[in-house]
Amino acid sequence: MHQITAVRNLTDSAFILQMERKELPFQTGQFVILRHPGSIAQREYSVYSGEQEDVLEVLVREVTDGQVSPRLKKLRPGDKVEVDGPFGFFRFQPQTFSTQKFLFVATGTGISPFHSFVHTYPDLDYQLIHGVRFGEEAYEHDHFDKQKVTLCTSGDKTGDFNGRVTDYLATRDIAPDLQCFLCGNSEMIYEVFDILTGKGIPVQNIYTEVYF
Amino acid sequence: MKYHVITLGCQMNLSDSERVISVLDEAGYTWTDNEEEAGLIGILACSVRQKAIDKVYSRIHKWNKWKNHKNLVTFISGCILPSDHEKFLKLFDITFQMKDLPQLPEMISRYGITTPAHLKPGIDPYNKNIEEFWNVKPSYQSEFEAYIPIQNGCDKFCTFCAVPFTRGREVSRPSKDILAEVALLVSQGYKSVTLLGQNVNSYGLDKKGEEITFPELLQQVGELGNRMNKEFWVYFTSPHPRDMSDEVFEVIARYPVLAKQIHLPMQSGDDKVLIRMNRKHNMERYRGIVQTIRRILPQATLFTDIIVGFTGETEEQFENTRKAMEEFQFNMAYTAIYSPRPGAASHRWADDVPQEIKKERLHALTEELRKHNRIFNRNIVGKTVRVLVRGADRKDGFLSALTEGKLIVRFPAENEDLTGHFADVRITSASDFSLEGELVKVEELV
Repeated sequence: MHQITAVRNLTDSAFILQMERKELPFQTGQFVILRHPGSIAQREYSVYSGEQEDVLEVLVREVTDGQVSPRLKKLRPGDKVEVDGPFGFFRFQPQTFSTQKFLFVATGTGISPFHSFVHTYPDLDYQLIHGVRFGEEAYEHDHFDKQKVTLCTSGDKTGDFNGRVTDYLATRDIAPDLQCFLCGNSEMIYEVFDILTGKGIPVQNIYTEVYF
Repeated sequence: MKYHVITLGCQMNLSDSERVISVLDEAGYTWTDNEEEAGLIGILACSVRQKAIDKVYSRIHKWNKWKNHKNLVTFISGCILPSDHEKFLKLFDITFQMKDLPQLPEMISRYGITTPAHLKPGIDPYNKNIEEFWNVKPSYQSEFEAYIPIQNGCDKFCTFCAVPFTRGREVSRPSKDILAEVALLVSQGYKSVTLLGQNVNSYGLDKKGEEITFPELLQQVGELGNRMNKEFWVYFTSPHPRDMSDEVFEVIARYPVLAKQIHLPMQSGDDKVLIRMNRKHNMERYRGIVQTIRRILPQATLFTDIIVGFTGETEEQFENTRKAMEEFQFNMAYTAIYSPRPGAASHRWADDVPQEIKKERLHALTEELRKHNRIFNRNIVGKTVRVLVRGADRKDGFLSALTEGKLIVRFPAENEDLTGHFADVRITSASDFSLEGELVKVEELV
């Protein structure tokens, strides 16, 4: 059982839950399962915070008819939540790659593992392409190096690019030695997968984490 | 009191039931084949499979009606989702997790009194106390084939599968206990031993530095086989391509007791479907493993699992699976039509491939398998193969057997005493999914 230590509301529906870490030994990119105490309904969330931090953070978007996120939204500092994990193979250890240039592509809350990557390894050479509908969903972009982030907004013109991440990537030159990490809904991942392989990125340099 | 246990699931549930039977026998209950005369009836079920759960409901409604005219206690365990667990609490007298099996006699004796075991809200995902379950000596249901659980649970979270929520996290059984069980079985004359786990080749990964790895475990089993100087075959199932190493096949090649039969679940032949399934392997990786198997173990048969009609599977994506079947020339493919299971992540997605299309795809893959097997099996005609006789065949006057590669062989013989013995059979004809031959010699005559 982990006690909530802070809640940061980012939009009407998105928020960061910060909780005691209790020495949970996760590797950046992994996810945890959250459960309201006593409930059998549970949901997977990528860890948002970095490996060195004393607290554990997850980025949650409330799905109003969901079984878990509406209850998580009601949590306040001092409340408790069950945490199971860590799990997953979207683990990121930059030193294990032959090249040290990284492309991160996310939609919506899929930015979560990349936030953890960048906080764990602050000197990374990366480009983050983040796709959302509206500019207000640029979740804590001030935590990233401004020069390394491109916000794609499909529902308004407040982003760096007006359109979806796939529209953006389709028009760009992409170095074939990039290590590419994709996180978000499977439709985006399918399309970006095709774009990247079409531009000469080998399949083995593409790593995916499907959100559902 | 007489008891009856029904198993509705996979080999893991069969293995569970062998330990349940052992515990009940030890507690003084007596087995009956006739469920109508039993005062205690249990089910080892699997929430991962919808059909198994449908059968549970059908059975429990019948048994609960019997309670109107007889005393009956019912229990359920196995691989049960938290949501099914909650429903079963209302239908069964006792529900428990396999790790709590040693407490089953106590639960039965206290039946009627609510115990903490009844009130557990869900499944303990960490498999604490699983070693107590492993320490239960099983009551093997065969005198020549046995299953040995070596690992429990799954951390892979494939989106179509609920196992991480029914069996909890990956936990490896101590290797000394596994080796002791293999040695005991072989000394008792067992001929076929299958090492079982939801991700059998992830063995040891949860205890890095404290426990040996899966290839090292296989090597020790192989060494045991050499020392015991007895003929037996050791299989393992079910592995995950992600954790498969070349070393596994190199070890299998070195030891005669390690059967030259590999089960390597592919699930789909399309990279995008594999992404959506969260399989964490792509076709290049799978192809690489198959090439390694063919290079190191050219004589090995290759089995797989495939799901057709997974959420969003297009015609083109299915065609990639059919082409993969053509490329890899599996000897057997356990092909399942996709159905969403509550608890699995894909349950939240639309099950959008029409049932008719799913059936067509299943049929197409079966035909692909048939095509390859026909050629493979015909090439065996005229050869003499070693088989393990498993009992009477459906065809009158014939016995049924399996080769080391698990190909089905039948041959004319009236003497069922050959069951459980090795024999040499000369293959005289082949059909798409089986071989027919004549007995050359039996092990005792060798």
